[in-house]
Amino acid sequence: MSATPGPTPGSTRTSTRSGAGRVLVAVYGVFALAATARSLVQLLTKADEAPLAYGLSALAALVYVAATIGLAEVGPQPRRLAWAAVGFELVGVLTVGTLTVLDPELFPDATVWSSYGAGYGWLPLVLPFAGIAWLVHTRPRSSADSV
Amino acid sequence: MDGPLPLALLAASLVFAAVVLVYVALGRTPDWGLLGFAGVIEAGALVLLVVAAVQVGDADLAGAAAITLFGYLLAGLVLLPLGFAWSLAERSRGATAVLAVAGLTEAFVVVRALQIWPS
Repeated sequence: MSATPGPTPGSTRTSTRSGAGRVLVAVYGVFALAATARSLVQLLTKADEAPLAYGLSALAALVYVAATIGLAEVGPQPRRLAWAAVGFELVGVLTVGTLTVLDPELFPDATVWSSYGAGYGWLPLVLPFAGIAWLVHTRPRSSADSV
Repeated sequence: MDGPLPLALLAASLVFAAVVLVYVALGRTPDWGLLGFAGVIEAGALVLLVVAAVQVGDADLAGAAAITLFGYLLAGLVLLPLGFAWSLAERSRGATAVLAVAGLTEAFVVVRALQIWPS
């Protein structure tokens, strides 16, 4: 977390961490913190009970951390990281959500993406769409650009 | 943990989030009043952590549940400071709204701690 002065002229539209992006980064940060902590507790206390579900929790935690960093930092590389993380997150929540709806026995313990994130107020399903929309909205444009 | 403190903390966190949303709607930036409100919640979260630490010996809590409980209580202690740090670095409605996220998450953390605590 770095405290920087306001965005310099010209970079305003391409910064993913300004304006509404600040809320998005905060929500992603909460998920990164929660998923990481939850995953650590699972892996440290009962890893052998449901290795697939807990492995998936750990993977989801990494994805949220990557998305948070990607959106919170400014530049082409963080933007690529954010795209990769948010894209993976969308595929993950749709895949795991569909699998858990079709076969609830597949994951004996709930993961953040089970049932499309219904256990977390559907936020895990909404977040990747919000992330992609924000990345598109703030994408760098050519110099001849009218607001 | 069985007293009124957790519920008061929960209510205060929700009211805080609501006040922040009013600030966002009016286009106001965070002021000393909001910071003081957060300070009261922060003090409550600290007291709750101490109370839980004192009472956990007599409570029927397994290892993993105790770890999770204190994870939530510690999270409740860092949420608002982190929220303010991230929010105050910029002056915009989005930046102010970050504090609403922090307040709602604080409320969620208290609810989870209450659910884990054996009553």
